[in-house]
Amino acid sequence: MALSTPPRFELHLPWSVSLKEAGLLLVVSMLATGGWWLSSGARLPLQADSTVYELELEAPLLSVTEALTFYDEGVHLFVDTRDETAGQTIPGSLFIRAATFDDDLLENFDFMFPEDALILFGNGNLTRTSNIAARLKARGYENLHILQGGLSGWQSGGGDISVTDQSITDESVTDQGAGS
Amino acid sequence: MSGLLVLLCRLAVGGVFIYASLDKLAHPQAFAEVIHHYRIVPMALLHPAALLLPMVEFVVGAALVLGLGRRGAALILAVLLLVFMGGIGSALLRNLDISCGCFNTDGGHGVGLSLLWRDLGLLLLCLPPLLLRNGGPGFERTPHK
Repeated sequence: MALSTPPRFELHLPWSVSLKEAGLLLVVSMLATGGWWLSSGARLPLQADSTVYELELEAPLLSVTEALTFYDEGVHLFVDTRDETAGQTIPGSLFIRAATFDDDLLENFDFMFPEDALILFGNGNLTRTSNIAARLKARGYENLHILQGGLSGWQSGGGDISVTDQSITDESVTDQGAGS
Repeated sequence: MSGLLVLLCRLAVGGVFIYASLDKLAHPQAFAEVIHHYRIVPMALLHPAALLLPMVEFVVGAALVLGLGRRGAALILAVLLLVFMGGIGSALLRNLDISCGCFNTDGGHGVGLSLLWRDLGLLLLCLPPLLLRNGGPGFERTPHK
């Protein structure tokens, strides 16, 4: 029986096998994606919020998951930008609000330095929080992030909440105007 | 000889895709922003694409490295590379100054002609695992007749 030597680079493309394998791999990928998505703590919503992508924000967005990590590390400062605090905030937050911006900055003068990494959060209104970021940048604060989803996103993601008695007064609003 | 060539191509392409998937899997929101910058994917598909694409890269890259369904894996990665080249090409034609988001979601390499050449090189490396009979060592159950 004569042995035949196969060519060194024999071409062979069985399309049915290739497509079957490709289909199987795609199904596995989809199942893995579903499992990954379901098991992640703070899930990326399946429906994108167009306002998040179409706004020109003054600082990059930070997901709740990343913010929770930074919170645990204790390196970043959290800045509450809401006028109405509704009695709750992220523990240890400083208050910098549009209507009382200058007073708040002065009050936090000894705690908040331009080189600090700040995470700004509001009530989910990104434009409003971004405006605060712009004013902080004008004062030399460069290391800024905006917490996506604001305080409610933080709560949904399992972040700690503390009760505060900080709230803006009508008098202080009248004193400084409505801010930017 | 051809088995060795296929093995090297599998390791190179599969390894690149596995590496490329890791940062995207860890930061889906940031990757969604990268995809959005290309202004190709409609808003309704943006997040599903940001979730699915890195997982496809990881699973298919791993399959190619291990030699599991290497023809199908090579076919998918070749198609993905063509899609990427189309995206980069369209960004270049529209003069978009954006980062490619190929390996990390935090800035990174801007889109440019060099990326097209790199993807073309990877595309060529997909051909031996796809076209040659000898798939090299791996977990393939039976050689394709």
